[in-house]
Amino acid sequence: MEQEMSYYQDQVSNILANIRRVMIGKDQVTTLSLVAFLAEGHVLLEDVPGVGKTMLVRAMAKSLNCNFKRIQFTPDLLPSDVTGVSIYNPKELEFEFRSGPIFGDIVLADEINRTSPKTQSALLEAMEEMNVTVDGMTKSLEKPFFVMATQNPVDYEGTYPLPEAQLDRFLLKLRMGYPNEIDELEMLNRTDQSHPIEEIQAVMQKEELLAIQELIEKIYIDRTVKKYIIQIVTKTRSDDKVQLGASPRGSIALMKAAKAYAFVQNRDYVIPDDIKYLAPFVLAHRLILNPEAKYEGTTADRIIHDILTEVEVPITKEYSR
Amino acid sequence: MNNHKSLADFYPFFIYLAGFLLFWEWLRPLATITDTGSVYVFVIYTAICFGVSYYVKNPFLVSFIKLMTLFIAIDYLFLPEQLFSPAWFDELRLHVGFNIDIIMQQEWQEMTALFRSLLFFLLLWLMSYLLHYWFLIAKRFFLFILLTFIYVAIVDTFTMYDGSSAIVRTFVISLVAMGITHYMKENQGEKATTTAKELSGYWIIPLLAMVVLATVVGYFAPKFDPQWPDPVPFIKSTAENAGFQEGDTVRKVGYGEDDSRLGGSFLADDSPVFEAIAPKRQYWRIESKDIYTGKGWGRSSDLNYLPLEDGIVEWESFSSDVETTDYQASIQFAEETNLPKVVYPYGVARFNSGPSTQFFMDNASGMIEAELSEQDINLSYLVEYQYPSFSVDRLQEVEGDDPESIRDRYLQLPDELPERVRELAAEVVDEDESRYEKAKKIESYFSNNGFLYQTEDVPVPEGDEDYVDQFLFETQVGYCDNFSTSMVVMLRSLDIPARWVKGFTGGEMAEDQPSLPPEYQLYEVTNNNAHSWVEVFFPDIGWVPFEPTSGFVNPVDFYEEASTDPNNPNEPTTPEEDTTPEEEEETEETAGQELDLEDENALGAGGDGSGSGVNLTKWIITVSIIALVALLFMVYRKRDDIKRWYWKKRAKKRLKEDNVEHSYNFLLMLLEKKVKRREKGQTLREYAKTIDDWLLTDDMSKITSIRERNLYRENTGTNEKDDFTELFENLIGQILP
Repeated sequence: MEQEMSYYQDQVSNILANIRRVMIGKDQVTTLSLVAFLAEGHVLLEDVPGVGKTMLVRAMAKSLNCNFKRIQFTPDLLPSDVTGVSIYNPKELEFEFRSGPIFGDIVLADEINRTSPKTQSALLEAMEEMNVTVDGMTKSLEKPFFVMATQNPVDYEGTYPLPEAQLDRFLLKLRMGYPNEIDELEMLNRTDQSHPIEEIQAVMQKEELLAIQELIEKIYIDRTVKKYIIQIVTKTRSDDKVQLGASPRGSIALMKAAKAYAFVQNRDYVIPDDIKYLAPFVLAHRLILNPEAKYEGTTADRIIHDILTEVEVPITKEYSR
Repeated sequence: MNNHKSLADFYPFFIYLAGFLLFWEWLRPLATITDTGSVYVFVIYTAICFGVSYYVKNPFLVSFIKLMTLFIAIDYLFLPEQLFSPAWFDELRLHVGFNIDIIMQQEWQEMTALFRSLLFFLLLWLMSYLLHYWFLIAKRFFLFILLTFIYVAIVDTFTMYDGSSAIVRTFVISLVAMGITHYMKENQGEKATTTAKELSGYWIIPLLAMVVLATVVGYFAPKFDPQWPDPVPFIKSTAENAGFQEGDTVRKVGYGEDDSRLGGSFLADDSPVFEAIAPKRQYWRIESKDIYTGKGWGRSSDLNYLPLEDGIVEWESFSSDVETTDYQASIQFAEETNLPKVVYPYGVARFNSGPSTQFFMDNASGMIEAELSEQDINLSYLVEYQYPSFSVDRLQEVEGDDPESIRDRYLQLPDELPERVRELAAEVVDEDESRYEKAKKIESYFSNNGFLYQTEDVPVPEGDEDYVDQFLFETQVGYCDNFSTSMVVMLRSLDIPARWVKGFTGGEMAEDQPSLPPEYQLYEVTNNNAHSWVEVFFPDIGWVPFEPTSGFVNPVDFYEEASTDPNNPNEPTTPEEDTTPEEEEETEETAGQELDLEDENALGAGGDGSGSGVNLTKWIITVSIIALVALLFMVYRKRDDIKRWYWKKRAKKRLKEDNVEHSYNFLLMLLEKKVKRREKGQTLREYAKTIDDWLLTDDMSKITSIRERNLYRENTGTNEKDDFTELFENLIGQILP
């Protein structure tokens, strides 16, 4: 078990190294995306176009030897464009299911908030249920399944903001940001001749990935750390700047993400540092702030940060209770 | 920058100079408190030693110069021979050899002055070395300043040396020296940080101004009187009465021989003098004095001690036809008593103290001394006596003139005695009264006219002021010396022979009475019981004691023979006689301390002089407080070491428990105490990082990861235990350097 774990941890390190060859200066996003993938969650990337979202996903797909699908969401995109359609096959005399782009291992759902809520929900249902229903037939999605959705910053024109309930389905919400000068120069250098993405080789097979996902479920998380999660999440519900706090699904998400992160950090147990590190990415998009707080310029990140400084980190064991 | 350098050269010199001046203060009292002559030679030698230590770097050269100077000083002081001639060396060798023999035989007193000086020079040499190290190398001279202050204070307190100017000098020197060191430190600190910030040389002006100001203010500002009386006399004596300071304003009570200057306040001293087993409480006489000087009492003739054969006393203070009762009493002097006199009751007839003790008596004063054989340490003796009781009728009726010898001796008064004293005496009595009536009137004059018994704030007459005059007309407060002396002087001014008597009152009945025959009691007599009273001469009868001091009762019985004259004006006498002991007890009890004090005064005012007696407990408390303060100060100074020791000990204990959790929590607690608090939202890792940044290690992060595994994973790798121990020890070592 331990050997297995350390082997896979090495593999994960290799993958990260691989992706980093393409994604310069984006370690955090890279790592967290992988964490979400390993935790069987999905990522919502909120950022302007052209900062390397696609590249990240493609690099991940290539490293993991997964197939990669991309859906460009547009206002006129229909649910069936996502899930697929049944087409009558005159030869076979029956309807034949043509699977949509959602049937990929890694799906990049680009500009998800540009499409209509109907289409959005088709995607989100698939993400949550791990299956799609087309023409009354339910088709399961195969593991691994990882969606990286991107959205333009909310106040852009012509967008359909995702409802809270749907935001909840993303494990992490990340932001990419512009690279700094040095990183950007490095990026130019690397892409000067040929794009490095072409050189990326697969590090492991899909089966191994699934094994890792199973392994991560066995990562140990102590009762004290669980309590720490609960304390943080509970605190989001009582904060007076927050209209709606994180749901229990948020707690579960935080725990899952923490386990995966611990794994990536070469540990087989979760420590409060994992929770603290991940909490903003897991919880921020699950909060709905008060209008007053919004007006004052408070952000969810800020609130999470404040909560983290207030909640006492467990540093001793509980013996009774 | 040049300027800087030269200044930097000067400061150590100043400090060193200050050190020398302070050390000088140590040498100054020598002339006063020891028989050292030529102290200046020692001072010069010290100066040379200091100078050599400062300027000469070569240690051999230093020693050589110091040695040569030492020889020259010895030569200058003691040796007539040509310096460094063979004879000179012979002489020196002779001295040294002789003294080494002396030392071998531990005959310390026999050492020659030359050798003692030689040793002292060597000591100065060592001191110069030590102080050089202290000031210039260790740069710690505060301790020396403190020691100097203590030294001066002690020498001032316990010896004749007057340290008041020494204290001021020490103060000034210390302040200047400390100012300079402080400046040096500041300067060094600045050099280390900012290069250009150079203080001007004028900094010394405000420093000096401050010192001068502080000194002047300190010198002229009103000061508290000493909060505790001078402890010396108490330490010096329990019953010893060898005072040497004349005219001190506060004295200790007790018997003293020198009564030439009476007056002044005194303090109680309940150290025991003797114990008496006697059938009644009576006064114990020691001596009388006849010459009143205007300030106190003296003797008209030198003491002339004659041996008492078989202890039989021929001397009589009253004639043999006075009615007497035969008694015996036993006297046992206290161990610590140094009273060299024999106390005896009125009517003393015979001493009995075994063959080895010889008694001597001076007939003029009635003073008796005993010569003890070697093995008897404390004087003890039996005394047989015929205690008188005087017939008032006889006293009333005395006729005839006083013998010439009595008149010559006991009517003396100083020429300077103010006239108003005589006038007052004449006013108090009626011309045609009997001598007894006059004496009685004057005896009771004081208590009837509001004279107060008081032991504090009793002045010593200054200038040409007369002791009696001061008491009668100015202060009207005092103790037995005042009352008794005044009565004697007033009587003498009325042409009545009288003398001043010293001794002890009857003392206190001991609480634990040994088993004695029924009529006997054990009395304890302390220095508080020292007293003085009056004897008046009656022709054919002799000397009759009177007690003018308010609160005291005449110890001698007076009786009236079957009422010859009912109108006799001396009603008080008769009842007094019989009830004396009880009454006295009562009065003493009611008057409480006052009476005791009074007693003391009478005898003691003369002798003990040098200081005030201090309550032993007070002194002990003082010493304990000082010791405690010193201890606290030490603890305070060493607090870091002590804490460190304590924490290290606890750390070791924790580690022994072999429990990662306990040890780590201890470490956390210690870090929070010593380095930085952990924010409650801080994880162990984050905290460890800040600690490591502070300690410049990564030990804390390492040890924290072990603890994390232990805490959040619930297991500890077996090989981690050793790492943990090592890291723990490292960290403790760093936190508690």
